Amino acid sequence: MSIQTPVLRVEGLSKNYGSVQALEDVSFELHKGEVTALLGDNGAGKSTLVKCVAGSLYPSKGKIFLDGQEVSFHDPGEARLAGIETVYQQLALVETFDITGNLYLGREVTTRGIGRLLGVLDRKAMRGLALDAVKEFGARFPDLSAPVQTMSGGQRQVVAMTRGAFWGKKLLLLDEPTAALGVKESKAVLEVIAKLREQSQLALLIVSHNMEHVWQSCDRMLVLRRGQLVADLRKEEVTKNDIVAHITGANAK
Amino acid sequence: MKKRRVKLTGLQTRVLVLVLLVVIFSIFVPYFLGIDNFTNILVNGSVVGIIACAMTLLLVARQIDISVGSSVAFSAAVFAATAEKHSLIFSLVLALLAACFVAVINIVSIVYLRIESIIVTLACLIAFRGLTKVVLDGRSISVQNFDFIGAHRINLFGIVALPIPVLICFFVFLYFALIMKYTKYGHHMYAIGANPESSRLAGIKLELQISKAFLLMALAVFLAMIASVSMIGMAAPTTGDRLEFLALTAVILGGVGLAGGRGNVLGTLVAVLILAVIDNALVLFGVKPFWQEVARGGLLLLAIIFDQFSRTRDKTVRMEV
Repeated sequence: MSIQTPVLRVEGLSKNYGSVQALEDVSFELHKGEVTALLGDNGAGKSTLVKCVAGSLYPSKGKIFLDGQEVSFHDPGEARLAGIETVYQQLALVETFDITGNLYLGREVTTRGIGRLLGVLDRKAMRGLALDAVKEFGARFPDLSAPVQTMSGGQRQVVAMTRGAFWGKKLLLLDEPTAALGVKESKAVLEVIAKLREQSQLALLIVSHNMEHVWQSCDRMLVLRRGQLVADLRKEEVTKNDIVAHITGANAK
Repeated sequence: MKKRRVKLTGLQTRVLVLVLLVVIFSIFVPYFLGIDNFTNILVNGSVVGIIACAMTLLLVARQIDISVGSSVAFSAAVFAATAEKHSLIFSLVLALLAACFVAVINIVSIVYLRIESIIVTLACLIAFRGLTKVVLDGRSISVQNFDFIGAHRINLFGIVALPIPVLICFFVFLYFALIMKYTKYGHHMYAIGANPESSRLAGIKLELQISKAFLLMALAVFLAMIASVSMIGMAAPTTGDRLEFLALTAVILGGVGLAGGRGNVLGTLVAVLILAVIDNALVLFGVKPFWQEVARGGLLLLAIIFDQFSRTRDKTVRMEV
C-alpha cells in the first residue's frame, strides 16, 4: 500500500435526527482510483452518510478531510466546488434536455466578449466537449441530441454518471446506481463504472443495498448497520457470505 | 429527429390556422381585407401581445401571473392621476414604480413565502383593481398630450407605417424571443419548468430566476400601460380588464401549456394574431358583443383541450423512438 493521502477521510462522524441516531461514530478513508462500495440494509444510514459527505446534510459530530484538508459543507454547491460530485438515485436530469444540456446543467458555458455579459450560451463549445466526455467513458448513445426522456433507465443512469465524472475532480458518489435497472442495463452501468475506475483520477463510492450488483466492480466494501460501520474490508479478504452476514448482523455478538 | 418534427408541426399548424382565417375572412367579411384594417388588428393585439410574451416566460417556468390586468390598470391610474399635476416623465416613472410594486408583492409571496403563484396573483388581481378605482375615484382620467404615441406612426420597414404600440409589442417580442432561445437565463427557465428539483440540485437559483421573470413582467405591464393609455387617451376603471385571461389564452393556444418546460414566444405571437383576427372579424361581421365573449371563452377551452391533446401525442411519439 502506498502512503498517499486519502482523497476522503471521515473521522468520528455522527448524525442524529432528534433522538434518532442515524450515524454513530463512523470513520473510514477513500483512495484515488479505488471503487468502494457502501453496503447496508434499508435504514442502515447509507443515505445519511452520503448526504453528509455531499453537503446536503450537516453532521452532528465528526470531521471530514478532503485531500488532507478539513472541510465543512453547508450545501451541495460547496461540496461540488471542492470536487465532490453526486449522482442521485433520482438522477437529477432535466428530461426534456439532451445529453449536452444535462451535462452542463447549471454550469453552462457562455460565449466570450459581449456574449458573456449578456449570458449568451455557447452551444457549439458545450456540444463538442460533451461528445468527448461521452466517448471517454465509453458510453454508447444512438443519438446525442435526443432528449433524455427518450432514453432507457440505464442510459439515463449513464448520462448522470458521465456528468459526475465530467465535473468531479476528486470524489464521485453514486447512490444506488443499479437499483431501478434490469439485469442487462445493470451490466452496462457497471461497465461504465469499470471504465471510470481505469480512466479517471477519482475515488468512487457506490451506495447499494444489493451486494451482488457491486461485488464485481468494487475493490473495497464498507458495511453500515444501524448507523455504525461494522466492516471495512478489501474484497480479497472476504467472501460474499461474510458480507451478507455483516449486512444482516448474523455474526453480531 | 422525430420530436423536432412534431414541434415544427405545432407551429406550422398555428400559422396555417392564421393564414386560413385571414383568407376566409378576407373573402366573406366586408372591409376585412386592407392595410388599414390589418393595422387595426395589430394595434388591438399589441397590448395583449406585450403581456403574453412575458407570460410565456412565466408559464415555461411553471409560474403564472393573473394580476397583470389589474396591474396595468393600477399603473395607468397612477400615471393619469400624476400627469394631471406633474410632468409626463415624472408620471411615467411613478407608473413604472407602481407596476414594480405589484411585482414585488408577487415575488415576496411566491418566491420567499412559497405560496402558489395562482393564489397570490389572484389576490393582487382583486386588490389592485380596487386600488385602481380608489386612485381614479371611480372616474376616468384623461391624459393630455400623450395620444401622440398612439396616433403616431413610424415607417420602420419601408413597407407600412406602424403605430408605436405595435412597434413596442414587436420589440418586446424580439427581446423575449432572444433571451429565451439564446441565453443562459432562458435555458434555466426551461430547466426549472421541466424539472424544478433537478434544476435546484444542479445549482440553479430558482428563487432568483423566477423573481427576474416577475420583474420582466412588471416591465411588460408598464409598456402595455403606455400602449393602452396612448390608444384611448385615458386611464379608466376598466383599463386592462380581462387582460390576464386574453394573454393566457394566447400563451396556451401558442403551445406553452400549463405543465411548463416547453413552447416559445413565436407560438404565442401567432396565437395573439389568431385571437386578434377573430375578434376583428366578429366586430366587422356585426356579431353582438355578447357573442364575442362566448367566442373568447370557447377559444380558451379549445386551447386547453389542444394542449392536453398535443401533450399525449408527444408522449406516444417519444415511446416510438
